[in-house]
Amino acid sequence: MRVRKLLRSLNLDFFSFLSLPRKLNLDMADFEQRYRALSRQFHPDYFYNAAPAERRASLEKSSYLNDAYRTLRHPISRVEYLLKLEGLAPQGPEQASKQVPAGLLEEVFALNEELDEVREQRSSGAAPDVWKGRLERARLPIEAKRAEHEAQLQELSARWDATGDRAVLESLRDRILERNYITNLLAGIERELNS
Amino acid sequence: MSKVVGIDLGTTNSLVAYVKNGVPIVIRDTDGDGLVPSVVSVSQDNTIHVGREAQRRLLTDAARTAYSVKRFMGKGREDVRHEAEHFPFRVGGDSGEVVRIGLGDREFTPPEISAFILRELKHRAEEHFAEQGEVDNEVDRAVITVPAYFNDAQRTATRDAGRIAGLEVLRIINEPTAASLAYGLDKKHSGVVAVYDLGGGTFDISILRVEDGVFQVLSTNGDTHLGGDDIDVLLMDRVLAGRVDRTPEAVQELRKAVIQAKLDLSERDETTLNGQPISRAEFEALIAPIVERTLGPCRQALTDAGLEPSQIDEVVLVGGSTRIPLVRRKVEELFGRRPHSELNPDEVVALGAAVQADILVTGNREMLLLDVTPLSLGIETMGGVVSKIILRNSTIPATGSEMFTTAVDNQTAVDIHVLQGERELVADNRSLYRFKLRGIPPMPAGLPRVQVQFQIDASGILSVTARELRTEIEQTIEVKPSYGLTDEEVERMLLESFEHAEADFAARQLIEARNEAESVIQATEKSLRSPEFASIDTTEISADERKKIESVLAGLKMVLKSTDRETIQKWTHALNDATQHLAEVMMNRSVSAALAGKNVDDV
Repeated sequence: MRVRKLLRSLNLDFFSFLSLPRKLNLDMADFEQRYRALSRQFHPDYFYNAAPAERRASLEKSSYLNDAYRTLRHPISRVEYLLKLEGLAPQGPEQASKQVPAGLLEEVFALNEELDEVREQRSSGAAPDVWKGRLERARLPIEAKRAEHEAQLQELSARWDATGDRAVLESLRDRILERNYITNLLAGIERELNS
Repeated sequence: MSKVVGIDLGTTNSLVAYVKNGVPIVIRDTDGDGLVPSVVSVSQDNTIHVGREAQRRLLTDAARTAYSVKRFMGKGREDVRHEAEHFPFRVGGDSGEVVRIGLGDREFTPPEISAFILRELKHRAEEHFAEQGEVDNEVDRAVITVPAYFNDAQRTATRDAGRIAGLEVLRIINEPTAASLAYGLDKKHSGVVAVYDLGGGTFDISILRVEDGVFQVLSTNGDTHLGGDDIDVLLMDRVLAGRVDRTPEAVQELRKAVIQAKLDLSERDETTLNGQPISRAEFEALIAPIVERTLGPCRQALTDAGLEPSQIDEVVLVGGSTRIPLVRRKVEELFGRRPHSELNPDEVVALGAAVQADILVTGNREMLLLDVTPLSLGIETMGGVVSKIILRNSTIPATGSEMFTTAVDNQTAVDIHVLQGERELVADNRSLYRFKLRGIPPMPAGLPRVQVQFQIDASGILSVTARELRTEIEQTIEVKPSYGLTDEEVERMLLESFEHAEADFAARQLIEARNEAESVIQATEKSLRSPEFASIDTTEISADERKKIESVLAGLKMVLKSTDRETIQKWTHALNDATQHLAEVMMNRSVSAALAGKNVDDV
């Protein structure tokens, strides 16, 4: 009986599993405390002498709990998970990285021009100081954009928590896509600097 | 009720501990020594020696003596090609297979060598429980510790070693986390703890948050090939440069001297090595690069935990190599606080293992250990690239799944290659398993949806299950470890070990019996040859008695070479009895000679 109940609850989503509302701003101390309490409930350590089915359930439940913890602990993966739950998951990674988000066209265009010129400078033997300085400067507007995004994400998250409005989720999805794109751009600059 | 223990299976030394009335204690020998050197030696007659005796044999029979075998656990022949030459014993095996260690004419896998050590610890614990008057003193279950940075193959090899030694391995736990459990016992503190563990062969750093009795590992990092052994090699290279005698025994003699010098320099500013003075400053300059290599993993662990050094509340030192003052200084510098070392750094891991063993069997919920997997788990995808399924530092138990399909119509099997590591390319990661997913129902290409579920259990060990989602058919998975033993091999070794354990025990008893017989023979012959004996007249020792002694002596010499221990012992006792009166007479003579102011030799 107990086993069947344990297994059934695995169908719960991560928020429900931790008895949390589908909200993006979490009280982290409370979140951690819930995680510890549930760990004490399910961990295989405490089922060593139990029946095999119960042991199996304990393993599955604590794995699921750890999954939930990992996903909800970080603000970005929390947003991504919520979007998936609400059927708004961003499309596959290929699309996310190939298509330049509309809000970033200007920055991406400028950056690509800079990168081309830096590569030209490098192949004609320019001193590292020269092209490195250029790359560092090219990074600044992208980083500014990222900071802007962080603020927007926070603001949108607060709005979702207050209203539960699906339109807010759509904006959040766009921000996440842009954010992933920005992350890739910054990684590209980093690679160029270190190559 | 049979007993359960915690075991620290170390590169250099191993220990066994258990919890008595809520307190973990290390089990010691009669000399109060808790350490069993992780050394195994096979003598000419195939007797297995473990621990101190095996360590002594390094100096007399180095080629038949294995040490630091932990470095070879879960490794393939190719992995160890470069360091094999540092060891006096044979390190071999077939290409692409598990390492084999050759001692004399016998060959062993690293788990088998480790099993000898585990069996010695098991035996030590059982003797201890028998002395305590326990009705059932059998030790059949254990928690065994491994470096946090051990991969799946190394953990599995450790578990196999336990099974070969006749132990049910309840759990494999990480050494630094075990240490934190031992430290966390006395007081209910909360905060963030960094455990820096530099042992004989491995280095680990783990960062934990302790709260409400939950020991939650936030991140871990390390190097499974970095430790006191490397310091010894550096020192030896320095001394060996000008030496000619490089026989294995001479090298081991030197290794012993080097280890002593290393220990001295933790206490004093100067010592001598190979007749030359060496100062602590020189020593520190020599080993600085090794200590430096531990700091990178520390910084990475901090980054992974999302913490600054200043956010660490406590630093704990584990492992014998943390006695080195330079190590302590560097750790203090990095974390900006003085590290703890109240508990013996050699013993703290075994104590923690005992605590975990106790939690498992009693179900005591006061404390809970939540550990992480040190390395990302992935599978090979197109173009030799790894697709990660479970990321490193994920709390265990953890699961991950991946969907597979077929490339051609009616394909019924798919090859899957599981790897562990952080790199992009397959070639740069550790190959764990290759297996074939079979039994996929024949369907047009791309239609089957096979979900493969990867499960890392609380010991950090992987298992795999698969299911075709359209038909709900469970797949059979044949898992062949890339560098490990199959279940059948472990079973066979377990059976062999029982046979050998008895054979080994019998061989040891026989040797002991012969040794005793030889010493009685020698003592008797010495008396019979002594000038004193000639002067004893027949009133004190009758002619019959003389004859009796001589015939029993001849009898014992005859049976000495036999393999019948009981006969040897019987004749030994007979000779002891026959010479008892003679010994008394001789004793009286020497006493009266001494009273007369003469030396016995002058009589």
